[in-house]
Amino acid sequence: MKKFDRRKFLKGSLAGGVAAAASVGHEAKAAHTFEGYPDSMGVLVDLTKCIGCRTCEAACNKEQGLPAPDKPFDDMSVFDEHRHGGLKRRTSEKAYTVVNRYDIPEQGEPVYRKFQCNHCNEPACLTSCFVNAYTKTKEGAVMYNPKVCVGCRTCMIACPFYVPAYSYSSPINPIIKKCIMCYDTRLKFGKAPACVEACPQEVMTFGKRKDLIKMGHEKIKFKPEDYVDHIYGEHEVGGTAWMYLSKVPFEKVGFDTHLGTQPVLSYVKDFLAIVPMVLCIWPALFTGFHLLATRKEARKTEQQKSEE
Amino acid sequence: MPKKLKKICGAAVFLLIASLPLQQCFAQGPDTVVLETLAQYYDPVEFDHVMHVDMLGEDSCATCHHHSVGTPLVDENCKRCHEYGGETESANCEDCHPAQRFSADYLAEIEADIHLYHEDKPGLKGAFHQKCLGCHKEMDAPVGCQDCHTRTDAGDKLFRSGKYAPEPSESTAHAH
Amino acid sequence: MNKLVRQGFKPVDSHFKEDGQRWTVKEKIFLGLSPGDYFREQLKNPFNWILWVIYLVGTPILIARFFYGLGWATHSSYDYPWGLFLSWGLFTMVPLSASGFMMGTTVELFGRKDFKPIERLGLLNGLLGYFFAVVFLEVDLGQPWRLIYPMFVSLGPAAVLFLVAWHVATYLSVQIAELVPSFSEWMGFPRAKSFIKSLSIGLTVAGIILSTLHQGALGALFTYAPGKLHPLWLSAEFQWIHFLCSAIFAGLSMIIVVSTLSKWFMSWRCDDEFLSTLDKLTLGISKGAVLALITYLVIKIIAVAHDNEWGYLLTGWGQYYIVELLFGTIVPMILFTFAIRRQTASIARLAAFVAVFGIVLNRMNTALVAFNWKLYQEIPHWREIIIAIMVYATYIVVYRAILARMPILYTWNDKTK
Repeated sequence: MKKFDRRKFLKGSLAGGVAAAASVGHEAKAAHTFEGYPDSMGVLVDLTKCIGCRTCEAACNKEQGLPAPDKPFDDMSVFDEHRHGGLKRRTSEKAYTVVNRYDIPEQGEPVYRKFQCNHCNEPACLTSCFVNAYTKTKEGAVMYNPKVCVGCRTCMIACPFYVPAYSYSSPINPIIKKCIMCYDTRLKFGKAPACVEACPQEVMTFGKRKDLIKMGHEKIKFKPEDYVDHIYGEHEVGGTAWMYLSKVPFEKVGFDTHLGTQPVLSYVKDFLAIVPMVLCIWPALFTGFHLLATRKEARKTEQQKSEE
Repeated sequence: MPKKLKKICGAAVFLLIASLPLQQCFAQGPDTVVLETLAQYYDPVEFDHVMHVDMLGEDSCATCHHHSVGTPLVDENCKRCHEYGGETESANCEDCHPAQRFSADYLAEIEADIHLYHEDKPGLKGAFHQKCLGCHKEMDAPVGCQDCHTRTDAGDKLFRSGKYAPEPSESTAHAH
Repeated sequence: MNKLVRQGFKPVDSHFKEDGQRWTVKEKIFLGLSPGDYFREQLKNPFNWILWVIYLVGTPILIARFFYGLGWATHSSYDYPWGLFLSWGLFTMVPLSASGFMMGTTVELFGRKDFKPIERLGLLNGLLGYFFAVVFLEVDLGQPWRLIYPMFVSLGPAAVLFLVAWHVATYLSVQIAELVPSFSEWMGFPRAKSFIKSLSIGLTVAGIILSTLHQGALGALFTYAPGKLHPLWLSAEFQWIHFLCSAIFAGLSMIIVVSTLSKWFMSWRCDDEFLSTLDKLTLGISKGAVLALITYLVIKIIAVAHDNEWGYLLTGWGQYYIVELLFGTIVPMILFTFAIRRQTASIARLAAFVAVFGIVLNRMNTALVAFNWKLYQEIPHWREIIIAIMVYATYIVVYRAILARMPILYTWNDKTK
């Protein structure tokens, strides 16, 4: 019986440990009301102003020390590139942000959209990472630590915006590549990211997220004929730090409008909450089954003992 | 009229007439403005002010200068508050639109100013481009980046263009 | 080997030879044959020729995968980070290896000692399946040398994969422990065997807990991407229950499949007790499997009702879903029922093969086919396919090697001189 106790102790500690860990699930119940840290910065992207000059892409490449692109940044033929399945450009290991062109017949001119990590309030990548490689900083940026990354790529599965790219080309140190909001070089010091500063049209406004939301609604109110009455990212998947204003419906410029307002964690919580339940209930339940199932044998052994 | 008085009157008339172009100058601003505050990736812009004034007309200052030179406003949204706004101290764009729009200092400044309405006032670069390009698009005027300012060497480097253009490469990995 | 046995050769089944001498370890490894005879037997086997080809083609590619990286060896992309290694090696092989805890529970916990002849086969199937799932994982990870990071270096306990990592590691230890009796019989370490026997209930209960959670967790992984998996294959609330329930009949069906293959191809190694009870045990296992199948079918339908997805059934994807349910669940269920009523083990075996195929279909659909259903379809790279075949072939080779030697299909003759 001593050995059984030891095993039970080990099981109990494992149960306790995972129960403690899974108690994050308890916090997560209130998670969908987490609106970010109070002084969290954000960026409001006004797509009505973007002219598709790609200066932001060039500035990002320089700031983050990215490898040379396939084509110069002033080569607009990239807007006609398509990949698998007719999809437009996306972020890659060489480009943390891309601009795409959308030709919408009702508009006289094309609409351009800049796309990068949205730095969600409740990031799915962070939620899914089993080595805790992601951090939501209090400045608002979602950071990634390549030193602990194992390369399981669950974050790429989880991100609803298909943002993280993996440097598959590197056999020795493949890591995730994504926009970090210039945290190391700028955001930490209160400066705006390189793309925001470089943009000639000031498509992007940098400031506190809560202020940007107010500003965005003011802009819509000020010129209602110029904007769809919605700030994309205000509530999507629990809210993102990078938000968008657009003149045309968002689904026409490559946004997924079916994401809902729940952070991705909400869909996983049900299972995570069960884990400590199973850990604590199963031992007693199945030991009980065992005792019931072997009662005839136990009775026989007792009978034999009393006969002796 | 005595000879001396005639001379004085003549000089006055002469001065009056001669000063007309000068008055025009002061009334209508400089002929050319060199915009060099933000020059880094592009050369400074030689902005032909007098051409734009001639094209748009005398009272069109508000088109670009809002109400800062005292001319009547056109935009209803602006008129709501600034109809009787009058001149400001300076008509120069950069005296109101900051060159470093997103510096930590400026952001702190606008946050501290609780009476500021135009929180989303663009910086100098944004103001120039939004104003100029907006109109240029409507008027079928030049809209290309290098139509107004040629790129510097630093600019070519940033855009990986010209002599910094990348070599077309073949990679072993297949396209993703 | 079958022919040799028919000619009267007796492979090693006790510590002592006919003349009373102890078998050495080397002799045990060669099954009591001389090395020359052993290798001659191997060459005669046509299956080995196929294996040779697989290894000749696959080995350089597998090695090169680690030199050129995943971009060279797979079609893993930014949109489709997971390919064949995980869809097959992890998501498919793990439920098929649920036999370990199924058999352990049946014999040790519920006291059904009549299933003892097949218990060790179930345990071995479980151990090897999980072990090779980890091998597949190591082939797939970007930085496989960092496998222990979630355990000891940087922990992310709120992630489902964290649970999978810990549980698979712990469960592998449990399964190794459960197979120690067999190993210690073969090697002659009686104390190891009795030590493990004393832990047997604890190990079994630990196995049930760990299996419940990680089989479910593999399903929960897909709830991280609710927009990317087709609604018919996804159920945010029940995904983990679906995966757990299907793992039950997957493990049971896999035992039937493996025992059938052992009977067909390795009967020289099976003893009379195994062969004579196999049909009855197969039908007994079928009863468990059919209960799990009907439960699974009902909870899948409930999930469709819960999310009001009836409309999707009328689409192309819906028809594919119905085909998957039909061939993966309904057909085996009918076949198993028929087999039980008629007490015909061969029909049960057919049902088991179909059920295993159904599991393969469901897991591959969830992880590859119906994943990113709104995007283009991903086809694995030919190098990926070859590496997967090679690792799976290694699994079969190791499986076969252990079955040929250790007392799994036969009872060890413990007689002393």
